[in-house]
Amino acid sequence: MEPKDTPHARVRARDAGMRLLTRLTTGAAVSAVIGVGLFGAVSAYTIPGTATTSTITSSSSSTSTSAGLQSSTTPVTSSSSSGVAVSGGSR
Amino acid sequence: MNNSVLWYTTRGAGAVSLVLLSAVVVLGILSVLRVQTTGWPRFLTVGLHRNLALMTLVFLTLHIVTAVVDPFTHLGWLAAVVPFSSYYRTFWLGLGTIAFELLLAIVLTSLVRGFIGQAAWRLLHWLTYAAWPFAVLHGVGTGTDAWSAWLFTLQAFCVIAVLAAIGYRFMTGSRDPLADARSSFQGAVDRREPR
Repeated sequence: MEPKDTPHARVRARDAGMRLLTRLTTGAAVSAVIGVGLFGAVSAYTIPGTATTSTITSSSSSTSTSAGLQSSTTPVTSSSSSGVAVSGGSR
Repeated sequence: MNNSVLWYTTRGAGAVSLVLLSAVVVLGILSVLRVQTTGWPRFLTVGLHRNLALMTLVFLTLHIVTAVVDPFTHLGWLAAVVPFSSYYRTFWLGLGTIAFELLLAIVLTSLVRGFIGQAAWRLLHWLTYAAWPFAVLHGVGTGTDAWSAWLFTLQAFCVIAVLAAIGYRFMTGSRDPLADARSSFQGAVDRREPR
């Protein structure tokens, strides 16, 4: 068995340490990339940030609400005319 | 690219950056304490600390770039550079900007350590103790997922790990085996060359 204090043993120990450093760094980098995907997926699942929308199709001209009210099918129009000035207001 | 993908990437990269930064802080403290075993030489702690610090910058850049280019948020590049200039959560986002800039300063000065000298580098390196809490607070205040169970657990784990390392450091003190030799050498030099 080789003594621990010889230069050769030190070099071997250093090489082993360097190999471990490379492995740990590579592992950390891969884990970090996977982590971005994983945490991104989890965050998308917990708070997707998009509203659920649905398309409402109606077969009749009016739809009934839960309160029994009828929604009007009359189109909303706008009109314009000349302006009216109002004066003489009280203090 | 889909806006949502950018947003999810921002959040994922932010969480990973916090974990990496916490690991960097813990490894930095362990390197000061000169922790080593038979299978774990001291240079491994220092090397991993350096590599993870550079990796943290990469993922922080991803976090920032995806947030800025996301057209939904339209944060703008100014918010990424100038603290407290964002219209959105001004204070919390500003803390994140400060944390990034402190970390950038720490990494850059570490790369030119030979030029600026050990004393200046050590002084600047103490900024880490400011950068890390700023980053944590930024995550708590700005993060969409701050109070989600998964991120809350992750943040709690990071905070406990760093606080445990800091507590361990202050309890054990300096473990520099050459401290006595250095001080006696300095004393001998001072006696030889009185100032």
